[in-house]
Amino acid sequence: MNKALGSTAYHWFLLFILAALAPNKLWGNDASNTKPWNKRIPHSIDDLLGIQKQLHEQLSEVRETVVSIEAIEGAGSGVLISPEGLILTAAHVIEERGREMTVIFPDGNKVKAISLGGSELSDAGMLKIMEGGPWPHAPMALANKSIVGDWCFALGHPSGFDNERGMVLRLGRLIRKKDETIQTDCRLLGGDSGGPLFSLSGEVIGIHSRISQNSDENFHTPIESFLSNWKYFLEEDILTYGSLQGGGFLGVSCEEASKGLEVLELIPGTSAESAGIRPGDYLLRLNDTLLDTREKLTILISRQPPGSVVILDYLHKGREISVRLTLGERPAEE
Amino acid sequence: MNFLKWSFFVGVFSFKGLLASPPDVEVLETSHRINGSLMDETMGVKKAEVLDLLWGLYRNDKLISHGIMVNAKGYLLSKASSSMGARYAKSFSGKYLPIRIRKRDEKTDLALWQITGSSELWPFAKWQNDLNKTKIGNWGVSGNNDLSGLTFGVISAKSRSIGREGGVMGVILEESNSSTRGVEVLEVLPHAAGDRGGLRVMDRILRVDGRTVRTTEQINEIVKKKDPGDLLILSIQRRKKETLLRITLGHREVAFDMFNRNLLMSGPVSKRKDNFPMILQHDLPLFKEMMGGGIFDLQGYCVGINIARIDRVTSYALPASVVLPVLNQWIQELP
Repeated sequence: MNKALGSTAYHWFLLFILAALAPNKLWGNDASNTKPWNKRIPHSIDDLLGIQKQLHEQLSEVRETVVSIEAIEGAGSGVLISPEGLILTAAHVIEERGREMTVIFPDGNKVKAISLGGSELSDAGMLKIMEGGPWPHAPMALANKSIVGDWCFALGHPSGFDNERGMVLRLGRLIRKKDETIQTDCRLLGGDSGGPLFSLSGEVIGIHSRISQNSDENFHTPIESFLSNWKYFLEEDILTYGSLQGGGFLGVSCEEASKGLEVLELIPGTSAESAGIRPGDYLLRLNDTLLDTREKLTILISRQPPGSVVILDYLHKGREISVRLTLGERPAEE
Repeated sequence: MNFLKWSFFVGVFSFKGLLASPPDVEVLETSHRINGSLMDETMGVKKAEVLDLLWGLYRNDKLISHGIMVNAKGYLLSKASSSMGARYAKSFSGKYLPIRIRKRDEKTDLALWQITGSSELWPFAKWQNDLNKTKIGNWGVSGNNDLSGLTFGVISAKSRSIGREGGVMGVILEESNSSTRGVEVLEVLPHAAGDRGGLRVMDRILRVDGRTVRTTEQINEIVKKKDPGDLLILSIQRRKKETLLRITLGHREVAFDMFNRNLLMSGPVSKRKDNFPMILQHDLPLFKEMMGGGIFDLQGYCVGINIARIDRVTSYALPASVVLPVLNQWIQELP
């Protein structure tokens, strides 16, 4: 009896909290002049029509920038982001630097392109058209502009290029964004990989990467990965998991936070630990380079040989500290 | 983190990404997603208006297709090849009534059913007949599986006709005819139609649908006129004994591309998904048992009949401009 009462009381408590919080959380930001696609949830058919109108407008702006990519072993997608013909795609579509591939435009026109670099960590990849131009291209969103809840649309060529069908549109929302991954409920299929995820302002916010068993939780590479590692992706080979071996090693696990890279764990005995870095600290800069993504830290550290000396700026209990560290050696994979 | 490499690129994350994430990571509530519970409410009174038109068609108490009321006198339109054998129709409001088939059209794969044993007048669909008004990027709305709510998505690619693919047995037959009678089966592709129907290597096919066959070409002539899902009756000789086999033909891509991961990842798809005069393509997440129902615009006008689930990003609907000539002809012919 007591137990039953207790449980009932608990449920009432929960309902009360929800009732008190819900209006603020759901509708608090939705002033009457808020654009329908910026509301927490559309409220009416008019809101849905507003989203539809915006989608039509942005779709006609960007559709010429979406391409199909015929690689060695299959088909992927990509998006042009510069008049010189630079294409963003997925690392697993290009596989390695210097491969010749065929790019197919929406009208069926084909041109040759060469793969550049990228990273297996985020699945970011780049490709460059070798001839002609200027090419139609889509704008990229600024870092940290897209947030959870944003409406977005996916374009691509699922199952490869089909002239009769053309590219395929999917509409959805951004459901999670953390470190090297965005998740949305835009439905994806093989052949979509490398295709663009657009915000409803028509800016590229991600690149299709992997599909989930649940068809409404698919994975995209965030545009932040490209922005943060632009020069490296343009000029160097694809960063592979295998290539981390033999490079420098810090022994710090961290995740992206607004203040910097928040330290979660340290491997005991590394120079980071002896220098005084502790869980809860925020890594800010390495050799004066801003650590805006976790991937960038991995790239900067692993591209230097063990024994290199680096200068790391970090935030410890609100105070900024600068230390010199000697990089260790990555422990062998089991 | 390992990606599976496919003939078409896309990796798979086999674990449930969201469950594995630490609790402090912000995740959009399920209710706020494009097919979350709150989306239904945006449609206001149109929600019930749309759902009132949709029915589930049942065979042996199992949902086999959706249908849409097209006439006050209880006429339901559905997908013919999915709804065959239906005995009852269940409405959004919970009515469960016997039905019988009145018309069927091979070209569009539509069927017309009638509710029997009720003289009630029913709310019926109004149509958006102008295909040019149903553009890529327009919202599309259908009922969900048990018609307890709505499913949302968009028109996702160009309207077009879908060519005929033809059914396959998924077997390899001897090239040149040997002197003995019939045609020998050299290979049976695992899990394809022939395999499922009991055909084995070394069997000799003597007759197909009652016609005596002597060459592989003669068999192909008969098979290619049939569609996936159609039945083929084979007389075969196995170890000097003659037997009858019933084979339900399959899709070419399923039979010959066992490693088509796009299909593996998509779950069950419609048996007939080709040979349509015109289709609307959309991204609504519908099961194959939800074919035969309507897809609506935001004003509640029916823009088409869901006619085939292709894969996890693709469904086809027959546009109203294709449905209405067939339907109007039928309505004229019936009392």
